[in-house]
Amino acid sequence: MSNKLMTLKEAVSKYVKSGDTLFVGGAQHATPQAALHEIVRQKIDHLGVVAVLAQPTLLIGEGLVDKMITGYAAQDYTASYPLGKAKAMNRFPVYEEYSHFGISLALFAGYMGIPFIPTKGHLGSDMPKYNKNIKSIDCPFTGGKVAAIKAVVPDVAVIHVQRADAEGNAQKWGSIGVDVEGINASRKVIVTAETIVSSDVIRRDPNRTIIPGFRVSAVVEQPWGAFPSRLAGFYNADRGGFMRVAIAGGNEQTYEDYLRDFVYGVKDWNEYIEKVKSIKGADYFDKARLKNPVKSEPIITGS
Amino acid sequence: MTQKEKETRYSAGEQMIVSAARQIVKDDIVYVGVGVPMVATLLAKYTHAPDCVTITENGIVRVTKFPMDESTDVQTLADQLPGMFYVNCLAQAGYINTGFLGAGQIDRYGNINTTAAGDFYKPEHRWNGSGGGNDVISFCHRTIVTIRQSRRRFLEKVDFITSPGYLDGRPGQREEIGLPPNTGPSIVISNLGVYAFDNGEMLLKSIHSDLGVTMEQVKAEISWDIKIAPDLTDTEPPTEEELHLLREVVDPQKIFARRAESPGLQQQS
Repeated sequence: MSNKLMTLKEAVSKYVKSGDTLFVGGAQHATPQAALHEIVRQKIDHLGVVAVLAQPTLLIGEGLVDKMITGYAAQDYTASYPLGKAKAMNRFPVYEEYSHFGISLALFAGYMGIPFIPTKGHLGSDMPKYNKNIKSIDCPFTGGKVAAIKAVVPDVAVIHVQRADAEGNAQKWGSIGVDVEGINASRKVIVTAETIVSSDVIRRDPNRTIIPGFRVSAVVEQPWGAFPSRLAGFYNADRGGFMRVAIAGGNEQTYEDYLRDFVYGVKDWNEYIEKVKSIKGADYFDKARLKNPVKSEPIITGS
Repeated sequence: MTQKEKETRYSAGEQMIVSAARQIVKDDIVYVGVGVPMVATLLAKYTHAPDCVTITENGIVRVTKFPMDESTDVQTLADQLPGMFYVNCLAQAGYINTGFLGAGQIDRYGNINTTAAGDFYKPEHRWNGSGGGNDVISFCHRTIVTIRQSRRRFLEKVDFITSPGYLDGRPGQREEIGLPPNTGPSIVISNLGVYAFDNGEMLLKSIHSDLGVTMEQVKAEISWDIKIAPDLTDTEPPTEEELHLLREVVDPQKIFARRAESPGLQQQS
């Protein structure tokens, strides 16, 4: 097995290309913020972005996204500065819309290596009128109608997990959204991990591995890699904090200042963290650490 | 807000949440949209349905009484965290009996729009899209809908069907196009009244009279000639206990009581 550890800068420049379809992990838990910031910093454009409850606002605001593939996303560009900015630059993405289950199924079909997957959802909805990847077909067995959803196979995925080994065996726990389907559907996978552990740690709880090392292209040790979103067992969300507000794209001032100072104005996420600490106080991140960690019973393996 | 409402001991949003909570029955397995539906389901857990199971669209299965600020952001109160794909498989296979969602527009036959008002390509307003809405109403045996009522939201025909109700109202149409049998919207709760479905068409069941709402107001905020139930009643107002639990325990910051009157849209991470 090979050691895939590298810096985030290397991982993104090596594996994320202009024109790629990018899966963004973390549905309301552990958005891979460090990786998203690096993609913005490298200005990798013409992306198709598959995101489920993880809004890639910075990518859209910087005009890097041609297409959003999703079940739910803010699209009202009159109510969001970065969306409005994309619109003004004529870089507002096209939205390919499904239900939550629909996009999960599209990724699941990609993960299974099949061209499409049938479902009983989306029928009677207007979504198929505007999304050519959803069709109504005859079931070959019952003769009744089913919807067919075309597989989505992203070129590359970015995901943040609690721990991984140097070979890429990645373990995530807590709420997992469509992470398993999304990364396993993707051709290349960049894992950023809060901690890098020895393979022995992985092998003592292999049920927790959501993708095996041989399917992973790059592993990056990236503490606070999901902040300001939450990472189960490590830190709470930065609710109402300046990072959260800026990333959500509140107004021109906060958004543009943030981009200048904290995206383009630093060389990487580690420098970003130091810069935030120097401005907001050395304990800014520590305040988000868990106050009441709860441990599960260890599982027992062995012979 | 009517003059009467200003004087009453509760708001229309609170009435919506309480009326919705009462629709949850003991042992229900509830697929809940984030926000108002979740608050109503929690209220039901604190009152008459402590054992109901709540399933959220991002993939959380719980019977616990979780705090609202951890509604999508699980710490330790889940029984299972299988992800979005799995919980929707449960729904599609028929294991979730009750669905619960908010809406931007609804029509005579219970079709729901949470996508675009006006033309799809040049919308007057864009909502965030289906999320789990299409899944909930396609798969659950019955679905409870909460929505703020106005002529622009209660339409003869919605501008875009995000989540199908009874389509054009013809009986058996859902099954004909392939949706699972015995599914679809069952109750609609607005800030003015409560509606059921009669042969696929919305039917006014009760008016929030205690808030000062009148039949004229209800009709003025519906853009078709609504059918009235022969047994039309006044909506049962919230009890003191329900209000106490809602305000002090379930939603102490009163965020969701206010939000009840706008489309039930969820938070982003």
